[in-house]
Amino acid sequence: MKPSNWRHLPAALIAVVFLLPLYFMVSGSLRQAGLAPPRTPELLPSPLAWGNYERAFELVDLPRYTLNSLFVVAFAVPLTLLTASWAGFAMARLSRRPAGALVALSLIALMIPLTALLVPRFTIFKELGLINTYVPLIAPAIMGTSPFYVLLFYWSFKRIPPELFETARLEGLGPLATWWRVAMPLVRPVTVAVAVLCFVFTWSNFLDPLIYLFDQEKFTVPLGLRALSTLDRTNFPLLLAGSVVATAPVVAVFIVVQRYFLQEFRGAGWLGR
Amino acid sequence: MADLRFAGVRKDYGEVRALRGLDLEVADGEFLVLVGPSGCGKSTALRTAAGLEEVTDGSIHIGDRDVTHLKPAERNVSMVFQSYALFPHLSVEENIGFGLRARGDRPKQARPKVLAAAELVGCEKLLERKPFQLSGGERQRVALARALVREPEVYLLDEPLSNLDAQLRVNTRAELKRLHQRVGTTMVYVTHDQVEALTLGDRVAVLDEGVLQQLGPPDDVYRRPANRFVARFIGSPAMNIFPAERVDGSLRAGPFLFEARPNLPARVEVGVRPEHVQVDEGGEGAPAEVQVVEMAGNETYLHLQAGDSPIVARVGAALRPSVGSTVHVRANAADAYLFDAETGETLS
Amino acid sequence: MLRDRERREYAVMLAPYLIGIAVLIALPALVTFALALTEFDLIRSPRFIGLQNFRDLWEDDIFRKSVRNSLMFILFAVPLRLVGALAFALLLHRKFRGVGAYRTSAYLPTVVPDVAYALLWLWIINPLYGPLNLALGAINGPTPAWLTDPRAAQWVVILMSLFVIGEGFIVAMATRQGIPSELYELGDVEDATPVFMFWRVTLPLMAPTLLLLMFRDTIFSFQANFVPALIVTGGGPPPNETTYLPLFIYRNGFEYLRYGYASAATLVMFGMTALIIYLQWRIVKRWRHAFVV
Repeated sequence: MKPSNWRHLPAALIAVVFLLPLYFMVSGSLRQAGLAPPRTPELLPSPLAWGNYERAFELVDLPRYTLNSLFVVAFAVPLTLLTASWAGFAMARLSRRPAGALVALSLIALMIPLTALLVPRFTIFKELGLINTYVPLIAPAIMGTSPFYVLLFYWSFKRIPPELFETARLEGLGPLATWWRVAMPLVRPVTVAVAVLCFVFTWSNFLDPLIYLFDQEKFTVPLGLRALSTLDRTNFPLLLAGSVVATAPVVAVFIVVQRYFLQEFRGAGWLGR
Repeated sequence: MADLRFAGVRKDYGEVRALRGLDLEVADGEFLVLVGPSGCGKSTALRTAAGLEEVTDGSIHIGDRDVTHLKPAERNVSMVFQSYALFPHLSVEENIGFGLRARGDRPKQARPKVLAAAELVGCEKLLERKPFQLSGGERQRVALARALVREPEVYLLDEPLSNLDAQLRVNTRAELKRLHQRVGTTMVYVTHDQVEALTLGDRVAVLDEGVLQQLGPPDDVYRRPANRFVARFIGSPAMNIFPAERVDGSLRAGPFLFEARPNLPARVEVGVRPEHVQVDEGGEGAPAEVQVVEMAGNETYLHLQAGDSPIVARVGAALRPSVGSTVHVRANAADAYLFDAETGETLS
Repeated sequence: MLRDRERREYAVMLAPYLIGIAVLIALPALVTFALALTEFDLIRSPRFIGLQNFRDLWEDDIFRKSVRNSLMFILFAVPLRLVGALAFALLLHRKFRGVGAYRTSAYLPTVVPDVAYALLWLWIINPLYGPLNLALGAINGPTPAWLTDPRAAQWVVILMSLFVIGEGFIVAMATRQGIPSELYELGDVEDATPVFMFWRVTLPLMAPTLLLLMFRDTIFSFQANFVPALIVTGGGPPPNETTYLPLFIYRNGFEYLRYGYASAATLVMFGMTALIIYLQWRIVKRWRHAFVV
């Protein structure tokens, strides 16, 4: 009845095409800087120039930037998980009208582009004297970083049978206790997904560090990478080596936890009807 | 119109054997009910007949065609799903006519056929509505109409009444039977409800764990169960089963004493249906304590305890002993069933 | 129905989010409105100049070019990305051997930090050394000068945006998986071709989500080209062929220190976004009737 799966070929093709950029990043980072252009695309450069990585580390303080990024992430991710799941939980437990209003508010907030808020946010933080600190970078985590995460939690909590919450209520558990003891254990996959999404976003965030951080030693990895690119504009192997260093942590984390992320949502009926 | 034959059909899902060598013939025009507990393989059998699942072994024939490896669309069958599978974004008319449109009919061509099918099930007034505007019973009719409109050789129905409330279920049962009488096409009906099986089927096929336990008219299955499983599964409340002890020349089964037949296997069990348990407040018979009294309209179900044996009896409404009182029970040997305790097969 | 203590706890749980929205989204939005009417360089206090900023924008060639570029980008990027996300979702929603690896691969480029991603593409499209032109050359295809040819440069930015469709892919896939499989089994029984099922069942049932994705993508596309424009093309080739609105805003705000002017541009950008979404909404409404059996 079912023909042998035709999906394999196109899927494999797509996988290859989409992995190509990453492949180029790595292979390009291993080229000897300053060589003449090759005639044909080379699969693996020879000689393998690991020296590019050394030089990248010499020119900009990559370890320090990595630590800075980790510092920001260490605050942003847990804070996001807390506030996003809190808000999502409260919304899921409220009655229809207030919950509906909050969902609408979240959708609207989601639609507002970050660039539109760039200038005024900067002004606000300047007035508060918080320029050149990490506060503006961590501040969005206080509201769950993105309404999208709040909505993710909201939808997941909504899927839990309300009877479980009613039982907790009868046992004398308040909302906070219910959130911690009953709700959160049931949505582990979503928690992991939000953590990963938030980690990726915060780590890769270029715009905010760009406008808020002035001291070079405070730079995060994306900013450091950009600094590298202004120091040696045409030394691609060098820049790519820096890129690999910037990308590797995120890709590693993602690959490790992706099964929570890309699992089946069957039966969830997310936004279908 | 055609008959449907399963020959040695096996279906494995990895390690799980859903069907173990099913041999079943559904006669042309027959209404056959596949009944059994959850996981017995009845739905699997239906789905292999439809072509939604591939058989691991065996063959399926519809009429004189071997359809074992044909795609569902090539088999000329219609299916009604338990959840009705109505398209939420289409109107009733579009839902019913879906198959016709899929095969290339224009809306104008499809309309008269849709109308005819709708009238058969009684939903011709609902054609403009969308599924979310319909009640459970109405949705079920639409699902039926959709199956009817193509006039296939076999209808396959997967627990179509399970999602209806009790009252509606009883009413719809009769309508289904009437429908079958009008249309006359072969129908294979899956249910876990043995009452539905007995009332609807021309013949009943009882399955358990992928094996056909018994095939026969409702009367046969009820009065002459082939084994202990069928005896307990069919009939409500379930038949009372007692392990039997040989006492001199007799058989003691619970509170009852029967004459022992010669040539009995080592261990036997005796079964007595609740309606065959005769209950008296005084008089002959073994004493039993009344534990629960269930009043069911013009019948009463008594849950009794006689020594070690629990007994359920079905008596008339007039008899309503109080809880804790003692009554006396008897049973006729003619009404009792003998089972081989090892194999479960019926002996008498 | 809720006791006082419960009310308080829910309030506590909602507070960070609501306060955050108010301070980080609503307040800045209001400030933008105010700033747009001023001349402000963050050193001296803002000077109210009424609608002068808007008049200046109207005259500003670079601004007009930015608007045009952004619109062009959206015209191509949004439909292509949407089709891509949908195609991937339909291809990879069912479980089969290795599907996990395929899904991960499709999502992986999205995970790469913007800057690294941009530098990578700077390398890929390098006319002399970059893999793209090398590969094209190897098959005797055209090897355009990606960064100096205006059309080519714009296409680079569009191409870059096509690899990062991870989120749309996930949302589309989740939606597709939410459609009961029985509907498709019914299609099997009723002899409906896959194409028929796609147009009459899959697409209509996924439409609400796809619409949401389209809106979100439109908004996103107004700003997605910031990093590419900044790092890869530098807004060039001159003059300003790939300067998009976000880059324009950034430059005027943070490089030229004309915050009032940048705010006015932000408002215009926001207005355009809302307008486009509204148009999309109207068009789709008209089309809905096409999705009838």
